[in-house]
Amino acid sequence: MDANTDSRLALRGATVAIIGCGGLGSNVAAMLVRSGVGTLHLIDFDRVEEDNLNRQLFFQDDIGRLKTGALADTLRRISPEVRLLETVARVTAENLAGLVGSADVIVEAVDGAADKAMIGNVCTTELPEVPLVTASGLAGSGSANEIVSERIADNVYLVGDLSSDVRDGLPLYASRVMVAAAHEAHVVIRVLLGYREP
Amino acid sequence: MMVVDVALFASLASFQPDGLPGRHSRPIEFPDGFLISQVIEMLALPDEPRVIFVNGRHAEERSALRDGDRLAIFPPVGGG
Repeated sequence: MDANTDSRLALRGATVAIIGCGGLGSNVAAMLVRSGVGTLHLIDFDRVEEDNLNRQLFFQDDIGRLKTGALADTLRRISPEVRLLETVARVTAENLAGLVGSADVIVEAVDGAADKAMIGNVCTTELPEVPLVTASGLAGSGSANEIVSERIADNVYLVGDLSSDVRDGLPLYASRVMVAAAHEAHVVIRVLLGYREP
Repeated sequence: MMVVDVALFASLASFQPDGLPGRHSRPIEFPDGFLISQVIEMLALPDEPRVIFVNGRHAEERSALRDGDRLAIFPPVGGG
């Protein structure tokens, strides 16, 4: 087998858990499906609202639907072969490890800083061997070039500009959110292919 | 005394004792057996969500540091 075949098989055989199916998670999921990742575990408790459509991979006729279900339908339109696990739940410190423990890579794609910290702390405590890709700092109209990906601990990869906070009233533009989502998706692909960020 | 390499990310970088900008780590001297929570208190870090690593692995605030450790503290910001 050539290297490209090995890479395709590595991606097809992988399971990626995506915590949060909003601006980051829905777009990460689509990019991973397009890249050939075989199994995604979509986790979200919320329903699609009209004001999600400015950056999230949903459509007018998805409004009111569970995000996991609406996203799963869209992903199957991209690739009918993709295997999708859907969990409708709010992730907590208590249920997190049980939900994502069997994944090859975990993607943190939630909104709030406290939830991001909880996911970072729980995953690195209870699942230290599972790579975690997390995002922080993607709001506002700052340069897209400020958004980077790096490894900040043994198995933790961080995407973002690290500072632009929605709490400061910064808007979320589709362009910058998708830059961060693309970084997250690409880190996942690189990790699955055996690369390691510096 | 012991020396710990302290890296403070993002908004926390300005809390480094030398007051210089930049997120690179600095060697800082602490009493032997100093806890991470005591470092947080000494540097007067704000009480906000944070993720803490020692030598690349997650650590609890109640953990004691050892000479030569690398402490990194990262404060996530919202948006997704």
